[in-house]
Amino acid sequence: MTLLHLEGLGKQFGEVWALRDLDFALEEGEVVGLVGPNGAGKTTLFNLISGRIKPTTGSIVFAGQDIRALEPHAICHLGIGRTFQSSRPFPRLTVVQNVLVGRVFGKEVRFRPRADDLETARELLEVVGLGHKVDTPAGYLTPSEQRRLDLARALATRPRLLLLDEVAAGFSPVAIKQAVDLVRRVQERGATLFVIDHFLNLSLRVSNRLLALDQGEKVAEGPPPEVMRNREVIRAYLGLRHEDEND
Amino acid sequence: MERAAPTKIALPGPDRAIPVLLLLGLVLLPFLARSNGYVLQVFTHALLLATLALAWNILGAGGLVSLGHAAFFGVGAYSSGILSLRPGLSPWLTIPVGGLFGAGLAVMVGLLCRRLRGAYFALATLAFVEIPRVVTDNWDGLTRGSLGLVGLPGLPALTLGPWRVEIGSSASASYNLVLSYALVVVFLVALLWRSNLGLALQAAREEETAAKAVGIHVDRYRLLSLILSAFLTGTSGAIYVHLTRYTVPGLVYSLHFSAVPVIFAMCGGRFTILGPALAALVLYPVDQFLFHPLLPAGHEFLYGLFLILVVLFMPGGFWGALRRSP
Ligand SMILES: Nc1ncnc2c1ncn2[C@@H]1O[C@H](COP(=O)(O)OP(=O)(O)OP(=O)(O)O)[C@@H](O)[C@H]1O
Ligand SMILES: [Mg+2]
Repeated sequence: MTLLHLEGLGKQFGEVWALRDLDFALEEGEVVGLVGPNGAGKTTLFNLISGRIKPTTGSIVFAGQDIRALEPHAICHLGIGRTFQSSRPFPRLTVVQNVLVGRVFGKEVRFRPRADDLETARELLEVVGLGHKVDTPAGYLTPSEQRRLDLARALATRPRLLLLDEVAAGFSPVAIKQAVDLVRRVQERGATLFVIDHFLNLSLRVSNRLLALDQGEKVAEGPPPEVMRNREVIRAYLGLRHEDEND
Repeated sequence: MERAAPTKIALPGPDRAIPVLLLLGLVLLPFLARSNGYVLQVFTHALLLATLALAWNILGAGGLVSLGHAAFFGVGAYSSGILSLRPGLSPWLTIPVGGLFGAGLAVMVGLLCRRLRGAYFALATLAFVEIPRVVTDNWDGLTRGSLGLVGLPGLPALTLGPWRVEIGSSASASYNLVLSYALVVVFLVALLWRSNLGLALQAAREEETAAKAVGIHVDRYRLLSLILSAFLTGTSGAIYVHLTRYTVPGLVYSLHFSAVPVIFAMCGGRFTILGPALAALVLYPVDQFLFHPLLPAGHEFLYGLFLILVVLFMPGGFWGALRRSP
């Protein structure tokens, strides 16, 4: 079943099309890697899906419902969670409170606290490896810990579709392996994942399919090996990567 | 209960000893100062300012700085005053109605300023005070314009069977009334910051984009917090007007009532529950007893001085400094 359907989706900033005329569909339960060089439009696509910015053209249909005009909180309630490329914790709240916020507000408005909310928040923190930091203010965490907190907070909203923007950037090989395991566990629980991964250290291992963007346009989609062999992808993407290594 | 635990950490709750001692001192004050009406008067006003600072900080701890809370104070004072004069309703009824008028004004302000943040919101609220002030000043038929409201009824005694509690008749009776009201405000504010609504407001203050992305309807909760803040501020204005029993527009729609809650909340600690009240109870009496006799003309410079010192040396406010926590 198609969970997310994008049609003719485009976003213009001034003169620049950050994303242009994108058609794409995500099937329920799959993991799709979103790859492409800097400025390809990956984050812009996530911002559009999560309602942070409004599209210039096209439509976004989630689980049969047009969500183009909805506000971010309403989109979250429908079941789309996200992390941010540079993580955005609530710095003066404790780690466990950060996750509690996702748990309490992620699905519907709920002002009556439930006893198990705190318990669930602690469990999620164990899952991302922050179990020992529950009472630390989130602002004191290291950048890579903040990324994991972002992830736990997004998971706490119980998303059907989870958008991960460079969660594994800057992770050590061990942490990347843990992230791979985590993505697989989330997928096993029935969630669909859309994973931005500029440096390809996560998506090649977990993705069922890849979508490659360059300068706002789709250059390829399909099984990972096939996309990585695609000449345009290599030129746009690996070429750039090669330059990165040189300087 | 379990649920109180998490929120306590971010808004450092009262360390037990300070509030208990403070409360004890406040309750005993009328007995200690029995013969000195002036002392009681000063502390009555300090408590009233404490309620304003606490109410202001409902918005402040949620991340918005209002420089126009005198608007809600004045509307509460005037609506309660007028209703107690013309239809001659009991102040016990008109005081909460004054709060509701403040809340009504807050709905207008909130909807108009919904998109504003930071300095823009602060400036908009500063300008907004002019609207109710000009209306009050010019609607002579209703408000008597610049002549003001005079001869307002004080608070009638409460009778319960054989018991009779005097309220407006003496300095200590007024003091006890304002103290009771202040305790109600403390209770409500503490309840708010320990609830999930308080958690949502803190999250929105900390990182608005992330708060929205995890499902918080930020605009709605901000509006709710503004309404609650304005309701309490309007109620304070109404109580004030029945204690002084007269008013003119310049008295209640004044910079004093807009600025003082901001100063007390900043000095006491914006991210604390009781800090704003503590600052009011320390700074206003110090100002009145020490600085006023020394410098009758410019005594309020004390507030400016304290604000600068606190901003420089005590970033967490008095309360933060007392607790010595990071
Ligand atoms: N809010 C904005 N205003 C103006 N231009 C923007 C805005 N957001 C993105 N852009 C532009 O849109 C293009 C796509 O940016 P986007 O952030 O989506 O790229 P990306 O694929 O996520 O890149 P990176 O790998 O560097 O994160 C870039 O040229 C960027 O400068
Ligand atoms: Mg990006």
